[in-house]
Amino acid sequence: MTEYKMFEGCVIGNRIPFVEAASRKVFEKLGIETSQAPFSCCPDPTGVKCFDNDTWLAMGARNLCIAEAEGKDIISLCNGCANTLRGVKHQLKHDSLKKEKINAELAKIGKEYKGSIDVRHFVDVLRDNLDKIKSSVVKDLKNLKVACHPGCHYMRPAEWMESDDPLRPTNLKEIVSALGATVVDYDEEALCCGSAVTNAYEEHGLANLKKKMDSIKKSGADIICVNCPSCFQQYDTQQRNLSKKFEEDYNIPVMYLTELLALAMDLDASEIGLMFHRIRLKFALENIGIEMRGLIK
Amino acid sequence: METNFEFRKQIMDYHIGPDVIKYCYQCSRCADNCPVTDVSMDFYDPDKGYNPRKNILLALLGYKDLLLGADDLTIWGCTVCDTCDEVCPQNIELTEIFTFLKNQSIALGKGPEYLYSQAQTVFENAKAIPSQPAIERRRDQLSLPAVVTPDISEVQTLLKNIGITKKLK
Repeated sequence: MTEYKMFEGCVIGNRIPFVEAASRKVFEKLGIETSQAPFSCCPDPTGVKCFDNDTWLAMGARNLCIAEAEGKDIISLCNGCANTLRGVKHQLKHDSLKKEKINAELAKIGKEYKGSIDVRHFVDVLRDNLDKIKSSVVKDLKNLKVACHPGCHYMRPAEWMESDDPLRPTNLKEIVSALGATVVDYDEEALCCGSAVTNAYEEHGLANLKKKMDSIKKSGADIICVNCPSCFQQYDTQQRNLSKKFEEDYNIPVMYLTELLALAMDLDASEIGLMFHRIRLKFALENIGIEMRGLIK
Repeated sequence: METNFEFRKQIMDYHIGPDVIKYCYQCSRCADNCPVTDVSMDFYDPDKGYNPRKNILLALLGYKDLLLGADDLTIWGCTVCDTCDEVCPQNIELTEIFTFLKNQSIALGKGPEYLYSQAQTVFENAKAIPSQPAIERRRDQLSLPAVVTPDISEVQTLLKNIGITKKLK
């Protein structure tokens, strides 16, 4: 069995660790083995890369060196980290001048980037295990209507993410269907959550989110399923601001894909910290006759 | 309006497989599919709002001052969703060109404040979100292993050598 180096990333590890808890429990059930490593920030493709591309390259390459030293592939829990680490590999593979420059800097701290390991987004790893996922389901989720939001950096740019159709993604929907839940289609499925632009221009960020949320509401979804912590936070925290700004009710709970898997596997909600979501899940789930053990709020 | 040839050369060289940008024929597929253009453009005032098509044109013409001297939405309206890259019929990696423009804006000290503070945090802690006692307790409560601390001084040496301190505020 392959053992991956776990790259939980800054947001999941140090802000919403309950997502990591669900992911670790689900991986354990599916026999996906991971181990830890002293990785730094990936760093963020919408932040540090925009700040300075060479800083982004150097820091990303150093993280890849750490996994290379053990000869193990990385499994990323986050769209941003997967996009950065795969993007750094892509730039260094196709631009020998940059590779020379970065390796000259890495040599000063006793490291060398070779490009010998792969970086995998956890959705891709789960998709390779669809049969195992199907046989691990114990709860009937047929009544649960799920709007899938794979986010931008899971499949774009297709040139280096190599995961899914960049504008008509299907992988996340396939996994959610395999759990027995009902996937609902909506018009704005490939639309960005707007997390990055909300930081700089809240007005435009919320206008974009409204477009997305109106489309999701129209689909009649009970929950939104995501595989990126930035999207998770955008939906979990900004719907309240959206409701205030537009005097309309936006209150659809968000679940990380691994949390939804945990629900299907009948894991205990308190062990994976579902009560730490801002938008409460209990009511939405009970409304459609699904109970989750340990879900008190 | 003056062409800055040095800037134009940098733009041409920036792309992997250089010079692709010159094949832009301003078809506007990028702007038509841009989520920020959609919510910020004003039909009756084409100069308003975020416009990726116009940025590619100005970059191609080497109009550095126009791009970097304009209202900061001109460059920073991009939400890095990479949609334009996928719909461009000429396979121009627009987001990479926009990354270059943003890097230039940062070097001039004109980028959004939150990016300088994020870079400062990354430089000081080797993490964009440093560990906090409350989160450590929560990880413990969820039976999670502690996050392994990176070698901060090694990361700082690397980032200093690459020149980050010249860009921080």
